[in-house]
Order: sequence, then structure tokens, then C-alpha cells
Amino acid sequence: MMDTISGFSPAAKRGKTSSTTNRGNASAPESGAAFVETWKRNAGALQQGLYRPEDEHDSCGVGLVAALDGKKRRDVVEAGIEALKAIWHRGAVDADGKTGDGAGIHVEIPQDFFADSIRATSEPLPAGTIIAIGQVFLPKTDLVAQERCRQIIETEILAFGYGIYGWRQVPIDTSCIGEKANATRPEIEQILIRNKGGRPEAEFERDLYVIRRRIEKAAIANQVDLYICSLSCRSVIYKGMFLAEHLTIFYPDLLDPRFVSRFAIYHQRYSTNTFPTWKLAQPFRRVAHNGEINTISGNINWMRSHETRLADPALDPFMSDIKPVVQVGGSDTATLDNVFELLTHAGRDAPAVKALMVPASVGAHSSMKAAHRDMFSYCNAVMEPWDGPAALCATDGRWVIAGLDRSGLRPLRYTRTSGGLLIVGSETGMVKVPEADILSRGRLGPGETIAVDLDEAKLYSNDALLDLLAGRQDFGRWVKKIQKIGSVVRNDVVEPVMYSSEELRRRQLSVGSTLEELEQILQPMVENAAEAIGSMGDDTPLAVLSERYRGLAHYFRQSFSQVTNPPIDSLRETRVMSLVTRLGNLGNILAQSEEQCDLLQLPSPVLTNGEFEALRNFCGVRGSTIDTTFRAADGEKGLRDAIARIRREAEERVREGCAHVFLTDENQSAERAAIPTILATAAVHTHLVRNSLRTFTSLNVRSADVLDVHAVAVTIGVGATTVNPYLAQESIADRLRRGLFGKISLRDAVERYRKAVDKGLLKIMSKMGISITASYRGGCNFEALGLSRALVEEFFPGMPSRISGIGLAGIARNVLSFHHEAWGTAAAVLPVGGLYKMRRSGEFHAFDGTLIHMLQTAVSSDSFTIYRRYADAVQRQKPVALRDLLDFRGGRTPISVEEVESITQLRKRLNAPAISLGALSPEAHETLSIAMNRIGAKSDSGEGGEDPERAKPRANGDNASSAIKQVASGRFGVTAQYLNDCREIEIKVAQGAKPGEGGQLPGFKVTELIAKLRHATPGVTLISPPPHHDIYSIEDLAQLIYDLKQINPEARVTVKLVARSGIGTIAAGVAKAKADAILISGHSGGTGASPQTSVKYAGLPWELGLAEAHQVLMLNRLRHRVTLRTDGGIKTGRDVVIAAMLGAEEFGIGTASLVAMGCIMVRQCHSNTCPVGVCSQDPAMRAKFEGTPEKVINLFSFIAEDVRNILASLGFRTLNEIIGRTDLLYQVSRGADYLDDLDLNPLLVQADPGPHARYCTLDGRNEVPDTLDAQMIADARPLFEHGEKMQLQYNVQNTMRAIGTRISSLIVRQFGMKTLAPGHLTVRLRGSAGQSLGAFAVQGLKLEVLGDANDYVGKGLSGATIVVRQPASSTLASNTNAIIGNTVLYGATAGTLYAAGLAGERFAVRNSGATAVVEGCGSNACEYMTGGTVVILGDSGDNFGAGFTGGMAFVYDADGSFEQKVNPDNVFWVRVTDEEWQQKLRSLVETHAAETHSGYAAMLLHKWNEVLPHFWQIVPKDYARIIGFSVPETMAVSA
Amino acid sequence: MSAKMLSFVSVPQAQPPRREAGERRGDFDEIYEDFTPAQAGTQASRCSQCGVPFCSIHCPLGNNIPDWLMLTAEGRLEEAYAVSQATNTFPEICGRICPQDRLCEGNCVIEKGFESVTIGAVERYITDTAFEKGWVKPAMPVRELSSSVGIIGAGPAGLAAAERLRATGHQVHVYDRHDRVGGLLIYGIPGFKLEKDIVARREKLLQDQGVLFHLSQAIGSGEGEITLKQLRERHDAVLIATGVYKARETGGPGAGLSGIVRALDYLTVSNRRSLGDEVPAGELDAAGKDVVVIGGGDTAMDCVRTAIRQGARSVKCLYRRDRANMPGSVREVKNAEEEGVEFVWLAAPEAFLGDETVTGVRAQRMRLGLPDATGRQSIEPEPDGLFTIKADLVIKALGFDPEPLPELWQAADLEVSRWGTVKVDRERFETSIPGVFAAGDIVRGASLVVWAIRDGRDAAAQIDRWIGEQTAGEQVTGKQASAPVAAE
Repeated sequence: MMDTISGFSPAAKRGKTSSTTNRGNASAPESGAAFVETWKRNAGALQQGLYRPEDEHDSCGVGLVAALDGKKRRDVVEAGIEALKAIWHRGAVDADGKTGDGAGIHVEIPQDFFADSIRATSEPLPAGTIIAIGQVFLPKTDLVAQERCRQIIETEILAFGYGIYGWRQVPIDTSCIGEKANATRPEIEQILIRNKGGRPEAEFERDLYVIRRRIEKAAIANQVDLYICSLSCRSVIYKGMFLAEHLTIFYPDLLDPRFVSRFAIYHQRYSTNTFPTWKLAQPFRRVAHNGEINTISGNINWMRSHETRLADPALDPFMSDIKPVVQVGGSDTATLDNVFELLTHAGRDAPAVKALMVPASVGAHSSMKAAHRDMFSYCNAVMEPWDGPAALCATDGRWVIAGLDRSGLRPLRYTRTSGGLLIVGSETGMVKVPEADILSRGRLGPGETIAVDLDEAKLYSNDALLDLLAGRQDFGRWVKKIQKIGSVVRNDVVEPVMYSSEELRRRQLSVGSTLEELEQILQPMVENAAEAIGSMGDDTPLAVLSERYRGLAHYFRQSFSQVTNPPIDSLRETRVMSLVTRLGNLGNILAQSEEQCDLLQLPSPVLTNGEFEALRNFCGVRGSTIDTTFRAADGEKGLRDAIARIRREAEERVREGCAHVFLTDENQSAERAAIPTILATAAVHTHLVRNSLRTFTSLNVRSADVLDVHAVAVTIGVGATTVNPYLAQESIADRLRRGLFGKISLRDAVERYRKAVDKGLLKIMSKMGISITASYRGGCNFEALGLSRALVEEFFPGMPSRISGIGLAGIARNVLSFHHEAWGTAAAVLPVGGLYKMRRSGEFHAFDGTLIHMLQTAVSSDSFTIYRRYADAVQRQKPVALRDLLDFRGGRTPISVEEVESITQLRKRLNAPAISLGALSPEAHETLSIAMNRIGAKSDSGEGGEDPERAKPRANGDNASSAIKQVASGRFGVTAQYLNDCREIEIKVAQGAKPGEGGQLPGFKVTELIAKLRHATPGVTLISPPPHHDIYSIEDLAQLIYDLKQINPEARVTVKLVARSGIGTIAAGVAKAKADAILISGHSGGTGASPQTSVKYAGLPWELGLAEAHQVLMLNRLRHRVTLRTDGGIKTGRDVVIAAMLGAEEFGIGTASLVAMGCIMVRQCHSNTCPVGVCSQDPAMRAKFEGTPEKVINLFSFIAEDVRNILASLGFRTLNEIIGRTDLLYQVSRGADYLDDLDLNPLLVQADPGPHARYCTLDGRNEVPDTLDAQMIADARPLFEHGEKMQLQYNVQNTMRAIGTRISSLIVRQFGMKTLAPGHLTVRLRGSAGQSLGAFAVQGLKLEVLGDANDYVGKGLSGATIVVRQPASSTLASNTNAIIGNTVLYGATAGTLYAAGLAGERFAVRNSGATAVVEGCGSNACEYMTGGTVVILGDSGDNFGAGFTGGMAFVYDADGSFEQKVNPDNVFWVRVTDEEWQQKLRSLVETHAAETHSGYAAMLLHKWNEVLPHFWQIVPKDYARIIGFSVPETMAVSA
Repeated sequence: MSAKMLSFVSVPQAQPPRREAGERRGDFDEIYEDFTPAQAGTQASRCSQCGVPFCSIHCPLGNNIPDWLMLTAEGRLEEAYAVSQATNTFPEICGRICPQDRLCEGNCVIEKGFESVTIGAVERYITDTAFEKGWVKPAMPVRELSSSVGIIGAGPAGLAAAERLRATGHQVHVYDRHDRVGGLLIYGIPGFKLEKDIVARREKLLQDQGVLFHLSQAIGSGEGEITLKQLRERHDAVLIATGVYKARETGGPGAGLSGIVRALDYLTVSNRRSLGDEVPAGELDAAGKDVVVIGGGDTAMDCVRTAIRQGARSVKCLYRRDRANMPGSVREVKNAEEEGVEFVWLAAPEAFLGDETVTGVRAQRMRLGLPDATGRQSIEPEPDGLFTIKADLVIKALGFDPEPLPELWQAADLEVSRWGTVKVDRERFETSIPGVFAAGDIVRGASLVVWAIRDGRDAAAQIDRWIGEQTAGEQVTGKQASAPVAAE
């Protein structure tokens, strides 16, 4: 038996993979040059379509190595190179096995090396000479342009007074790079620059920055493709489109022993496209970044505004050269780098810049030191945070730093060695260091930074670094200048009542308000201080297609995160969120002065009527009010003139020194109509930005047409500083007078309303991963759906608007028609509405009563004729979706229906999309599965587990097991068994009804059955987090796909996304992550319960998402390797055929299947009272269920027959022939005549498919490389053949991932989940285990790691035992050193984990049954936990136990800090007094000590009587009630 | 939405109490008592607040039922009334006489197993309360218009149109050949379903609103009659809302015997008597008689129950089909049975026996056959199924057809269908004569009051639009007309 498998080579494995992925694709491969050629052509064509290059994302592995002795060392460079070789799995590789997404290294300039290369041609250089190096990418083939580039560079250098030694052709070996990479490879040269005047290094460096900016601008002016990787006298960057491990083959320079450095920053990239773009490789000049800046659009917009005021004594002479600071076309990281670089040249060092740009959260509960808090408060006053998942490694030449974003969403592990190296990286174990040489192992927490001052040779921990930064100025005094005017405007405010009931009604009518809006939206906001909840999907027309104007906000769709960055849980991770709003005149961001704190600060951007008045009074002469109404009689011209006027007025006032602009439409009347708030705000905001005046003022808006959370968010998103929804407040006052809120004061009522809006705002921001309003404001983080391109260009620049739509003319028409109705006629009652629930006089709904009846009659009587009538009625409807504007192009000869592929074939393309048991009654859920299995199609379990009994065939032969098992963020019921009982696994990244949001199953719906399936306690509320805590980026998704393909070696893996702009690039990234199918869900998808504004305003129609995904996958030559599926409101065969032509090959039919089973769209799914028993858990309701598999089968057969008939009429024999054939579609309607345009051509653009099919030709699945398990399985034959007990041993490295997973699949299939005794198979591993150690591992398997492990240890643990401990040779104290990574035991359902050391963030998140002992952990531990027992023998991290509703935790709180850190919302904490629990705790610690040999644990046991009183027992409140845990009296009161 | 709603899972259905059958038989008062406020609220709270409100879909007026149920449940009756009256001119009347079991309540989604929400009773409660509290006010026009509209027929369609047109400011004149306002509401429907002061209350409101009534004024060319031509000269637009009054007859031996009467004649006399008119008793009184009513519609139900109240010795209802296939309201059948009516299902009259006066009806027993193309089951005679029922009063309630208006009115250019209904443009309600509109049963054929209200409202909107177009063309040529006021 092999003891080690050191011969295991990732490259070799990948070679194997690439050949398997091409299986089934017989077409001739495309040459690299041909690929590049067609890619460029296709990309050009698709930019007329839905593809936007700026949507590209990337992510990666990152790290640095630094010499702690401050000396330039060769081993630093070598360690960096070695580390790069161990993060290949965080990047992606093209099918050629050679073209990577980019990798690179940033090191100091080896002066000797370059001096030698100069010496070869000239006189020896005097000692101490500094040579600067420019690493340059020149155009390769266009020699004229190449020469022009050299001229530009030389000219600028010489013009600045520096000299040139000459050009050096960088030696490269192109044999290691792929054809595609080679086809786009630039000419790589170095220019060696002479410090002619002998200027000091710092000055030289700064001049080089200015020179580079001049060169970059000249290159743009000359239209040459010139890119400078680095231009520095200190450091140089080698990067390119090779695999990380080929760095030194491609650049042999780096092998030269003279390459020595004090630091090496390295980076491996994973991009969402396949086009090798050399300059996007990292590191950049200052920063290497793993993650994504979610606030980038806001940051860029504000940077543009900040530019006006940039001033720095050293840079001032060159400011015009430097601006614009943010260079167009850069990635988020490149942009971050641009600003980072500027700030470091303007007197801030790298640690200070990091603190300024990516500050830690100063949330109200955080246990941060006051001095640190003041420092960060100052930073927040200077600049909007750059927020989003970020692991940053950066340098300014003197400092190297490594830091994380406020939420700690990327991993950074570090090791300090006795050899004086600091090794930091995305994973532990990337650089092999003998155990005995390790001084400490650590990890960074949220917002933390470690730094090395290379000149001083000093390492700073986070705390020490903050002390240093905080000590530089008297920030405490500075931030006192910030006037917290919350109290001024809030206290003693008298809320005025402004209107009589008639005037109120007229104003309500003027903004299209309805009874429904007041009852269903406003009332709950005040009643519950939270947004209203609704269920099922949105079946109303898109705003642009509607016959009714619904207000401008309806044209804005909220952005949300999926895959490339995570949404945040604004409810449970409140500590990172902030609505703090600063008003006033923002200063020079380069300065560091007290004056920067001269601001007003409010706790929320939402103001009540009284507060708005108070603020106006407070601002006095520094404020100025602008009226946003216009004479209605002037019509459209009146609107245009008014917009021009308010812009002019705002500009004049600001130029006169006004620091607070107030826009208001109060002045509306019978004669005067209001400019829609969003338009007025955007008009002024963009005008001030364009005139570089925006930072001089706050922009405060009082408006009538803002009522719900979405409208407030849009108003802020387009630039408002504060918003006062005065008419909503008046409506509240009116209702209060009528006694509808009980006996509360108006002030209380509006406070509740504001609370609802505040929560909603946080939710909207957090769904795209933004935590800070300051960074959200003006970011236009929306997508326009149906706004004219001209309008967007003028008012909402940068916001995507794909299909054009309504412009100023249409808006004027609609506003004036409302105005006329409101003021021109007798004030009648408000219309009843009909937007959320159907009303005859209200908005149109696609599924009306007649259709429901027709469909139900058709399926129950098995009548295709009646189905036909139904389908015809659907087609005759008013347009609801974009597809309703399309029709089939004729021109081909119809064929006989018999010639078309059979109904049986076509039915297999249809499936019943994910609806969880919990949303559906068990009867309805099983009916769907049985129906789908009978016809060979697939049903989807949804999130929430499934009874394993259903996998056993029934007596009548029926199979009730869902063919697709869903893995969602809650991981409910996701066990090894569940994942093996299926043909396909679907990762639900987002849901159409509420993308970017989590969910909550209220306790009363958690029945015995549901609790059993979800591994929870009946009656305990279950929470699904907004993100998958193991998918914060694209490489994380690749890892999850890898894990799932290990646990089920046959199942295909699907990734469910929700349509949005940019989904194409995400889909490409997902395809590269080896997904087998991608589901594009439309915005109309259903839900059991979601906030109403999420159902209405997030996500796009699937037509757009699908077309974009198809186009971009085609562009990247990925389409033939992945199946595209779509769903959302598909009702007929026609819908299916259109979807096929837009690129889909499989189709989900959700709502219609429910209707076939009896659903009548009561839309009360969230109240457990479904009168037809489809979506209720109440036995009385379930008894009403009348659905049958036959009815569902009839529906699917009818749709298939419908498709077949259409195919015949179009002259096609198979569905495959029409997939992606948008040329068979044409636009039949351009919408209402008042629109500027409505242009669906972007959907219909096609990419040249090259040698590939337009549909998936993959046979089987996209295989992933083997891991150690391949060897383990081979070695464990006696176990599988004879059931023998075994022990195996191996050496491991971080590249070996998901160890124990594949073998668990074998165990569960052969022995089941529970038959093997624990430890039947023991596997001992030495070294650093890769990510997902023991993922889904089952009972019988024991994994013992002697060393450490990375993220996701015990993910989905299903019964196995995992022990991670120090090797015997280690001298580390286990309780102070990191040993396992982030997100450990995520979704574990059973099993045990003992780790002798510190765990990372989110320890035991969503644990529902595992037992674990660790010696300390990062923040957000035990989040969303619903079961199991967790013992933490040290620091429990911040925000402990958020959303923790079941199970038990114990924390050893030696320093008494626990109570500051715990999140009290769901739990209480008591001392461990109960005898039984004392026993249990002690026994767990004893086992831990025995398993891990932890000296620390032994010590605790030794002093148990002293230690025990310092333990807290943390008990979820509801759970305590249910298990009968008696709460001590005193505690009960405080909790 | 208030947490109060959706209580159907815990609260059983309860209609307002009905008076005892024995007591009911003695008078012509309504049989349902009023809800108490608490009952109304509780019953309204049973509503499921559906996303697709089938009750509303199946209401000819599209009443926003879930909304006013919710408002009622929350005790917000004034708002409930405002929402209710916004789509319905006479909600208290619909609440009483609509066959809810076939419309809103019959389609209530909780009906299966939980029994529907008591929509009709709540509707009635809301409006009655509104009258009590004085919330019901005439809809006065915002501005007076010079245009005038003549409406023929003071029944539900004509009145609904009159109310809407007047509210928009037109001068409205209503002509009716009867001496009272209300049409079938006053003379057709018995008081135990709709007490007559309910109709009078509406008449008063219309008069307060400024609608002018010309009663006992027939249209035609006879003496004292106004011709259609004259009406057209008098008014900018004319609406025909006469209803259908020609009774369908039954043939067969003995059909001409005395003692065989038409349902409407019978009901009218009874209603007049209830209204205090002096009416000779004669053959139209059922007191002490064996009464046979032929037909299975709502009119037949009204007749049998009237006969009971008049003190008939026995009352039988003959209908060709069975209980499940009858057109009348199931609820009414139940009420009638309670009051002592005997239903003879699957029986068709074959001959009327007697010498001068009818003494009996010979009937043929029928059975149901296979469904026809429309899905309705056909009927066929049972062999040897003849039997005889004793009768000294036979009331024919077989339905109504239109009177031949073109002839009666000497208006040959008024196009009618082969059934005699007036042809109109479906969207615009305009007949073949420009400026003459028609609505209600005369267009649709005999139907429900609620449909007449709907048609009257829709026609009013079209008439208003039409008049707007005419004036725009005449007076302000070249200028844009002000947008007409949209009727809800």
C-alpha cells in the first residue's frame, strides 16, 4: 500500500479531464487564432445584444510572502512561486489545459540583475544607482503601433527629465501557454529607466506614477493598445495568461537567483469568460485582490465627484495628468488599485489606505476599542467604503499588508516561520513549511489587516496596526466635529398634519395610489414595522408593457448578488450594516485634517415630515429649497423646462455656497404637476456630478410618489442624500385618525414606518452585498427595464437598459394623466388597485380565473381541445412578458406532425421546478414527483429535504423520489443519502421571487414531518441564509460543484440563477466551474413567502437572462458543454418554443403544474390556509387536495403536443434544430405608441457558433479531477469487498480537496448512512488538507488530520468523525493558533468534529446535528444553527449565535467578553448549572482532549472546577421552551 | 392585511337568521333578518382574500368583494360602503335578490368543504347600515351639462344608467309605462325577497339627484304615447331599457282555459296589493286554491311562494328537469320547500284539464338523457309516464321574450335580432339608430337584475362618451375635447 501519493500531479489530472469533457463533441477543434478572431467578432456583435464587457467578474486565490527581517531574500520569491503552484484549483483552465485565467507575481526589483543586463551593453553603473523598470505589454503584431508605443513611453520619460538605459526583451517560453493565450499574447518588454537627476527614491517613484499616467493618456489619445504592468523603481510585476504553476517556465527571469525581494505578492485569477486578456491578470500595481467590490458603481461615481477637490502639495502640479483617477474599462480591482495608488502617493501608507477604503465595521454592537472606532469613523467621514468580499494583498513599497473586508467574506490564513517569513494566502499549506519551523498560524477576521513594515522589519498584528494608525492623529477630537443631528431633528419633533382628506386624496390620486397600496403595503409597514409579505410569483405585465402607468420606480429592477459575490443577511449580520447618512460639503479625500469631519450626520436617510422641517430649519441659510413642480398646462415641454430649471437652480445655489439642497413637490396643485421624484433627484444629482459640484452639497428630497421601500431605495440609489416620503406620512396620519393603528401617536406610527423602510433599505442593499448606504447612494445599482436609452443616458448614466422604452414624452403623458384624474375631476374614492392581487378594474394578471378553469378542465378531462382553447386564450391576452411581443417567422414549409420527434421525447425536456415540501403539502409534492417519474421527466425536491422512503418504489411501481435534489443555502435535509438518491443536484443560488434574499419558515409551519426532513425541532423557526456560506465567489462555487460531484459520482450538477444583466458572464463562470446545466429563472418565479417589493422589483424576465446567457456562453465556446434550462411563467407550447429559440433546451413549468393540481392562486401560501390543500401543512386543508399525477401528466403532454404542432408548422423535426435560432423570431409589437422605442433586437443577436453546436452535446457530465479518494477507494477494497475494518494513511496538501467525500458515497450506497460503526474506516492524513475536508462524510468514516485544514471542513457532515490536531512535532499552543478555516460544518446533519485550535468565521453555520469542539473561532459562529452541540473552548467571535434557533452551545469565556459578542435576538445564555449538561460538557471536553491530544484541553480538565463557572451555555429561546429547558428567573427577564 | 381575515378555517358559515317558515307564510315581509355588526364582521372575516378573486370574477359587476369584506371585518363600514357602491348602483338590492349561490358565493374558493362566505348578506348589511347612518347620498354632478338623455324604462338597467348619467351632469328623463319606478323590482319581485320601501328609497335618491321621471308614459304611436322620434328630438341621446315582458306561452290541449294565468300578471297584482293599491281579487288570487306553477326559474319560485302567502290550499311546482338542472336558485327552492311548496321534478305539462276553468294538469314524467353538445343533459319522456295533478290555478312561469318594439313603436329602422332583442354594438351599446342606445334585458334577453345594472352603467359610460364626441365635433371643432370622465 502506498503511504504517500506525492506523485499526484494536478496538471496530469487536468489533462485527463480536458479529454473527458470533449467527449461527445465530435466537431473539429477550433484553433487558438480562429477562436480569438471569432471571439472578437462575436463580442462586437453581442454588444449590440445583451453582452456587456463591464459585467465580467473575476475572483481567485491570493497571497503574499514577506521577509520579517526586512532583507531581500531569494526564499521569499521562491515561496511565492511555490504558493502559486498550490492554488491552481482556485483558477480555471481552458479546455486546452494550458490557457489559464491569469496569474502573476509582484516582487521587488533585483537591482543587480538589471544592472548586469545593462552592464552587458554599457559602462558599469555607479554603486547605489536605482534602476526603474517598466514592465510593458506592447501590441504584438502591429509593428507600427508597437513602435508608436515605445515612442510614447520614451517621450514621457525623457520629458520628465529621466533617462533611458534601454529596452529589454523579457525572455519568455511560450511552449507552456495555450494557443488561445498565445494568440492574444502581447509583446512583453521592459524599459530600464535612469534616475538622471539622482532624485530620492520616493520622489523618483512618485514621478514614475505621473509618467505612467501621462503615458496611459497618450496611449488612449494615440489609440494604441499599450499596457504597463508596472513602472517603478522599487518593484516589478510579472503576470500573464498561463497556469499559475507555469509562471517560472513562462518567465525564466524569476528562476534567476539574483531575483531577491522583501516581499512577493501573488495571484491566481478565475474569470467568467474564456477570452485570454493579459492585462486583466493580477497583481496590479498596488493591490492583488480576491473578491469583488460590490459598491463599485457608487464608488466610481463618487470618485468622479471627489476629483474636483483632490489636492496634495506634492501631486498638485500633476493633478491634471493624474485625473481621471479611475480609468475606464478597468475591472473592480483595477479601479480599486487606481484609487489605492493615488492615495499612497498622496501621503498615506498602505495600512492607512486600506483602513480608509476598506474599513472595518463600526457597528453599534462591535466590541472595538474607542480609539480604533474614532479612527474608522474619521475614515467613513472622508470617503465611502469600498465594500464587498475582499482579501487584499497590497504594498506601497515600504509596507506590505494583507486585509479583509468588513464581513470577512474571503479567507486569509497566515503562517509565521522561524526562518523569518510571513506567508499569507487564501489557503493554508500553500507553502510547505516543516512543522517544527512554524512559529504561529493565524487567520484574519472581518475587517482585519496584518502588515509588515519592511523598512523597520516589523510585523504588526491587526490590533497593533490599529493602535499605530489611531495614534497618528487625535481622531477622537476630530470626529467630535461630526454633528450628530439625529437628536436635533428627531427629539421633540412635532409631526405636522398638512392636508384635509380631500386634498390628501387628490394627492394620492396624482401619484396613482390605490386602496390596495394603502392596505397591503402601507398598513403592514406601520402595524408590524416591517414590509408586507406576499406569495406566488408576479404575473402582471412589465411596467413598460402595462396599460397602466404605475410610477417610475416600476421601471427599476434591483440588482442582486449571485455566485460572484454573496448577498449579506441584513437581519442577522446587522453589525456590518449601516444607514448612517452624512450631509454637507465633502472635502478633499487626500487631506488628513479635522475639517473633513465638518459634517452633519443622521442615523438614517429617511426623514419624517417633522424631521425634514427641523433639518431645513437647522440648515438655515446654508440650505435652499427648490420646487420640483411644473405647470400642467405646459405638458411635456413644461416637464422638460422644469428639469432644466431645477438643475440650473441647484447649480446656482451650490455655486453660491449652499451646502444642502432641498427638492420638494409639495407645491403641486390643480395647476401644477410634479416631476417624478426619481427623475428630479437624478436630474439634479447627475447635473451636479457632471459639473463636479455634487460633493459640495447634500440632496434632500421631499416627495409624494415615494411610499414603498423600493421607491425609497431607487431615490437614494439615483443620488438622494435623504428622503422624506411626506405623502406616505400624510396617509399614515389619515389612517391613524381613523383608528386603524390603534392607540399610538403619529410619531410612533411614522417611526414604525421608518423602521420598516430602514429594514427594507438594508435588505435591498444587502441583496447585492452592500452594507453601507454611503456607498450605495448614487450607485444606480439597478437595471432599467423599459426606460428609453436616451433617458437613461441623461439621468441614470451607467445603468443598463437593454430594451429601451419610455422616455420623457411618455413620462409626461402619464404624469399628466394622473394629474388630471386627481385634480381635474370630482375626487372619487381611491381605486381598489389590483397590482398584487387581481381586481377587474386593476392591473392585468396573466393567470385569471377563466384560464385557471380552462386549464383545470382540460387536464381533468384529458381534453387537448380544451387545452387548445386555453392556449389560444393565453396567446390572445394583452402582452405581459417580452415574449408576447415576439412571433415566429414563417417562410419554411410545414411538415407533417408525425415527422416531428415524439411527445415522449419532448416531455423529457419539461420539468417541474423546485418547490419545497413545506411550501407544498406532502401530497402535492409527491404527486409532482410521481408524475414526472412516470414520463421520464424530472421534478425538483426544492429546499427542505425529502423522506428517504420515497426513494423506494411503491407497490404500484410509482417512484415518488424527486429526480433533482436541491441544495440551497439552508442545506435543510442535505445528507449524503439525499444527494445519492437522485439523478441531478441543483444548487439554488437565487430564487426568482426574491433573488439575493434568504427565507424563513415560521415555527407553526414546522410540523413533525418537516422537522424530521430538515433535521430540526418541530415548532422551531427555520432560517435560510441569503448566501450559500460556501459560495462567496466563483471559485467557491467551483468547489461546491466539485464536492457534489464527489458525493454523487453520477449526478449532473445544475446551478440555478436568476435573470439579471450580467448573467451571461456569470453563466460562463459557472460553466467553467464544471456545472452540467444552468437554470435561468425569470423574475416571475413563485415563492411561498417573500416581501412584496422583492416579488415585484427584483430579477429580470427570463427572456433577457436566457438570451444573454446563451449569447455569452456561445461567445466563450462554452454553450455546447452545458445545458440551459429556463423557467418562470411558462404556460403553453408557444412559450416553450420561444424559450428554445432564445437558447434553452429544458423548460420548467411551475405555476401551471400547480394549477393542474388544483391551485387557484389564492396567494395565501404563507398563511397555511390553502383551501385546495396544495400548499398547506394543515391536515384539514390537505384533505382538500384533489391533484393527481394524471392531471399533471396531461398538462405536460398537452404542452409537448403543442410544441410538436408548432415545430411541424415551422418545418422542424426536432427541438434541437431550433435552439438558439433567434432568426426564427421577430418582433411583432413595439409596445405603446407613447414609448420612445421598445427594441427586442438585443435578444435576437446571434453569435457565430464556430465548429460547435448551439445546444449541449455533452454525453454524461463534465467530470472533475480525482482527489485522494481515488487512491483511498483503491486501498479500501477489503472494506468494500469483505466489510473489513481498516486504517489508511497519507500525506496531503491543500490541493487535495473533499477528502472522504467520494468514499462516503460508496459507503452510503453499499452500507447506508447508519450501519457502519464509527471509525470502521480510519484515514490518517499528515499535512494541510484541502478545502471541504470530510464534506458529506458518513458514519463509519473517521478522518484524522495531523496538521491543519482549510475552509469547509465537515461541510454537510453526515455522520463521520473528523479530528484535526497538531502533529506531535509541533510546538504550537493549540488554543492560540488557527487550525481549520471558515464555514466549518456548514449544513452538517450528524457526526463529530474535534479540532485542536482556532476555527475561522461562521463556525458550525447551519449545523443541524453535528457535535463539535474547537478551541476558539471567528465571528458569526453557530449562525442559523438548528441542532447539534457546539463547544468553544475560547473566544467565540463577534455576533455569536445570530439566527441560532435549535441545538446547544457552550462557550468558555475566560476574559468575560462573551456577552458583548453574542447576538441576543434568538438566544439566552446561562451558566452551566444543570447537572446533566455539566456532565455532557465535561464528557465532550474529555473526548476532545483524548482525540486531539490537546494540552490546552487537558489543562482545562485539570482545573475543571475553576473553569466551569466561566462557561456559558447558550440556548435558543424557542428551543428551550420546546425541550423544556428551564430558564433561570433572572435570565428570563434579561433575555 | 389584518390578521383577522382567513378565519374560514375556524369560523363556520352562518347566514343571517331566517324567520320561521310558519311565520314567513303569513306575510310578505323579507325572510332574512339583519346581521348584527358582530356577525357581519365575523362572517366577512372568513374571506380568504384570494389572489384571483373568483367571487368578483363571477360577479357581473366585478364587485370588489374581498375588499369590502376585509373592510367590514375590520369594522370600517363607511369605507366598505364606499368601495361597494363604487361598482354597484344598488348594492342593497343585489345583496337581496342576486342568486349568489350561482355567482359570487357559488364560486367562493372556500365553498368546497367550508361553505362560502356570506357575501350577499354582508353586502346587504353594508348598504343598509350606510342608509341608516346617512352615508348614502345622491351623487350630485360636479357641473351641469346642457345635454339631455331620455331613458325608456325605469327598471334596474334604466335606473342604473340614469344615476351614472346624472352624476356626470347630463339632464336625465326616465319614461315608464307603469305608474311606479322600479320595473320588475317593484312589480315583479315579491316583497318577501325585496321589500318595496327599499326600491322607494332609491327612487327618492334619484329624484334628489335630479333625475326626472315621466311615469305612466308609454312609448308608441297610440293616444297619449310619445313616439321614439319625438323622444329623439327631445333628447341628445335615448336609451332603450324596457326589459322583456312578453310571457312565453305553453301550448297543448286546454291551454286556453280560464284559471291559467301568466306569472307576471299574477305577481304584479300581488305586489300592487302589498303596495296598498286597490286590486280586485278575481282569478289572480290563490287563496284557497290548488296551485300549480309551471317552470323552474326564479319567477316560478316567486310565484309558488307568493301563492303560499296568499293562502293556497296546495302549491306544486312542475319542472321538466331535476333539482340539479333547474335554472332557479337552489336557495330559493329550499326556502320554498320550507314554506310548504311541493316540487314535482321531471314533469312536463301535457294538457290542461277542465271545461271552462282549469281543474287539473296532465303531466308527462321525464327522464334525463345524455348531455348534448353544450353539456346540458337532454330530457326525454318516460314511457307510460302520464299522471294528473289537481289544479284550480295554473301559473305559467316559462320565461319572457321581448315585445316587438319596431312594430309597437313604429320604428322600422330599429334593428332587432331574430329573437326580438334590440341589436347593439357590443362595445358602444348603440343601436342601428344613431344616438339611440339600448341596454338590459331588451338587449340580452331575460336575465338577472345584476346584469341589467351592469349594462345600464356601461351604457351610461358609452352615452356620455358619445355625447362628448358629438359636442366636441359641433362646438369646439379642431380643439381637443376634454377627456370624458371615466365611469368606474
